[in-house]
Amino acid sequence: MAIFEELRQAIIDGKAPAVKELTERGLKEGLKPAAFFPNVIIPAMDEVGRRMRECEFFIPEVLIAARAAKAATDILRPLLVGDESVRPAGTVVCGTVKGDLHDIGKNIVAMMLEGASFRIVDLGVDVGPEKVVQAVREQQADIVAMSALLTTTMVNMKAVIEALVAAGLRDKVKVLVGGAPVTEPWAHSIGADGYGKDAPAAVELARRLVARA
Amino acid sequence: MLSSRERVNLVLQHKETDRIPLDLGGSSVTGMHVDTVYRLRQALGLDEPGTPVKVIEPFQMLGEIKPDLMEALGIDVVALAGTRTAFGFGLEGWKEWKSFGGTPALVPAGFNANPEPNGDLLMYPQGDRSAPPSGRMPQGGFYFDLIIRQPPIDDRSLRVEDNLEEFGPISDEELEHFKRTAERLYTETDKAIVLNVGALALGNIARVPGPGLKHPRGIRDVEEWYISLTTRRDYIYQLFERQTKINLANLKKIHQVVSGRVTAAYLSGTDFGAQNGPFISPKTYRDLFLPFHKQINDWVHQHTSWKTFIHSCGSVWALIEDFIAAGFDILNPVQCSAADMDPHELKKKFGDRMTFWGGGVDTQHTLPFGTPDDVRREVRERIKVFGPGGGFVFNAVHNVQALVPIENVLAVYGTARECGRYPL
Repeated sequence: MAIFEELRQAIIDGKAPAVKELTERGLKEGLKPAAFFPNVIIPAMDEVGRRMRECEFFIPEVLIAARAAKAATDILRPLLVGDESVRPAGTVVCGTVKGDLHDIGKNIVAMMLEGASFRIVDLGVDVGPEKVVQAVREQQADIVAMSALLTTTMVNMKAVIEALVAAGLRDKVKVLVGGAPVTEPWAHSIGADGYGKDAPAAVELARRLVARA
Repeated sequence: MLSSRERVNLVLQHKETDRIPLDLGGSSVTGMHVDTVYRLRQALGLDEPGTPVKVIEPFQMLGEIKPDLMEALGIDVVALAGTRTAFGFGLEGWKEWKSFGGTPALVPAGFNANPEPNGDLLMYPQGDRSAPPSGRMPQGGFYFDLIIRQPPIDDRSLRVEDNLEEFGPISDEELEHFKRTAERLYTETDKAIVLNVGALALGNIARVPGPGLKHPRGIRDVEEWYISLTTRRDYIYQLFERQTKINLANLKKIHQVVSGRVTAAYLSGTDFGAQNGPFISPKTYRDLFLPFHKQINDWVHQHTSWKTFIHSCGSVWALIEDFIAAGFDILNPVQCSAADMDPHELKKKFGDRMTFWGGGVDTQHTLPFGTPDDVRREVRERIKVFGPGGGFVFNAVHNVQALVPIENVLAVYGTARECGRYPL
């Protein structure tokens, strides 16, 4: 479909008004809302992730593309309510850990995951373990994704995992961690299931984790 | 025996000297969290228990590095900074306060020491509690983060002046402060003086939200700012052009009153690097930042003996050649834990043209979580890599943060003094 191709490019180029217009036009021409995800949103955001990894895209370009993708999903999501044929790739509860108010990295990961058709439950910043446990329970989450920017707060990731264990939920969710001071060995040492060094890596990992579950 | 000032001067000319000079507190990016300063002073027996430490930078919660601490650690550098904090209130009218970490501290009168019902601490612009708060420290936290107060943006009525409100001509009182302080530091100490104006840099994301303004206008949201570097290039270019004019005029006035007393000028604190790569493309740096960085650096090099200092966290390998082209002499904090920031490669490629001021020990992993032996090993290794031929001022990567074991801090400076003697 020519319109899908045009839309994909408009998302990658970050042209939100064009994305909105093309999405509306596509719907008017009879395209199914669900078809936009596999044909447009997911491949477009995968391409954005690839360009980010290859240092063709930097933070501004990624944010602009994510904003453009949102112009489409804002129109499409309400049309999909109750449509059983469309299932998200998984539900991700995400947040920045207790004591930490930094959210740019977390927001970019959330946008990219949403672009990969995950359902995002964003708990925001300064999120305590009890709030994560409650959200996992209520939202039937597949993944908990935690972020920390500070060496003084990354230790709070461990408290979240301990709270999930105490609540008997640890086996039901995969735990993904990231943020500037976080490393793969650290993620292992606290018992996380994975570490995303950047947003594209987080998306890849989330896909692997839900596929394995 | 060389004076600290002579020692720093020599290494900045890429010459070996008697030993590698050490910095702690020479700038707002080479300092130490107040909790750690307190514990360090106690460990060194410099104070009676309970003696408070002044918070000289309330955004990052940096503690004062007093002359006795500098002497105890063998520090060679001292800061020359302005009288205002990021939140727009002055460093005056000191009052007692206890940090969430339990440290007895002194904070300026404008610092709001009354927690909210949920335990968070809010900071108000210029200390004015009738204005919307601009900073928040979560209960139990160690730092403030800025509260975004973004008015709705209408591109048709966006004016460059709105993003310039916090920049203006330096006042006579402030100039007098710079004059007196520079004189005092120059005559009473033998330290190399670092002029600190880095917070006023172009696009410094720690200042873009306008924490010192009661009702900020223009582009103040962090994400919107990053997006604007691509979507509103003309606006940003004009803003930087105007801001540079203001900054340069102020720098000329400061130079008139401090003249040759300053060794280095910390001119830019804007972070261009994230953990895995630059925030912005090299092209964006060249188009938007480089022309103005060059303008300031060229003036400094033509009219002063100062070396110019740029701070940028993160992975900036891809930008260092451009920083050099823009005329910067000194790079800080040399975050070797970020991607493409291998110490050997940095020294090999840029070491004869750029002084590395930092990089002495990793503050993301080794310093907070390693053992004193890990710390000693890393400090020794960094000295061996960065030290040869001069061009290295020892400092940890960025400020030493809260919750760092004091034995690790002592290991840093002990090892740097022991192993930093030339010939290495």
